[in-house]
Amino acid sequence: MELRGIVKILDQNYKVGDIVKAKIIIIHKMDTGFTKDKESGKTIPRFYMKEITATYNGTRVGHFNLDVAMSQNPVIQFPLKVMGAGTLVIDFVNSNGEKAQKSVEITPVS
Amino acid sequence: MQRRNFIKGAFALSAIGLIDPMFLGHALRAEEEAIEMPAEGLLRDYLAGKSAEDGSSIMQLNIPETPENGAVVPVEVTINHPMTADNYISNITILATKNKANKAISFDLTPANGMAYLYVNIKLGQTQDVIILAKTNQGKIYKASKTVRVALGGCS
Repeated sequence: MELRGIVKILDQNYKVGDIVKAKIIIIHKMDTGFTKDKESGKTIPRFYMKEITATYNGTRVGHFNLDVAMSQNPVIQFPLKVMGAGTLVIDFVNSNGEKAQKSVEITPVS
Repeated sequence: MQRRNFIKGAFALSAIGLIDPMFLGHALRAEEEAIEMPAEGLLRDYLAGKSAEDGSSIMQLNIPETPENGAVVPVEVTINHPMTADNYISNITILATKNKANKAISFDLTPANGMAYLYVNIKLGQTQDVIILAKTNQGKIYKASKTVRVALGGCS
């Protein structure tokens, strides 16, 4: 299954040196491994988004270790200091080791 | 008769071959991973022998007291703490206390973030305290908590 996710910068018209907020939305199950399927009665195995790494122009600016107390389709907002034009790259890894990558351009106004 | 036996045997084999590993796989997996994560244990691991300082003065929590749905509870934390190269918040962790699985998220920050802020959605199975822990790069630990009343629990 392909991992789906969105990354965006919430602020507009930001300058170099400003602090902006980046938002990550992931379309992913967060199965705890405790619940049972209502029809078959089998335990649904634990399956969740595990690790998210944010890299901005080659520098790591955030690392998230998620666990099953997160909601299904997790939403994360985190701050970022704009150091210049560049790309914010987000790497996802889920509990099965499947990987995905999303990115957003950071374009400060001068 | 022989043909009938052969067909029976083939069906039985295929049934074992197809269904059993799937079923066993699920069972084994559930047994292996169904580890309860008690909040006390997680808290002890995080503190590692140190004591937590009261962070309610520097932490600004924005959590609804009575969320409509326990499956999606927005948690917003802003920490008024300098983010300079030698004194910054290096980690923010959010824990629930009465879920079956209590760990929600751990966020590693650097001074490149500019401020200590985090917004996430967590799920809560019942009315309970949400604990927010913050660690500085100098090893100080701040702790704040808030009771959240949940009418309709999210599956946990």
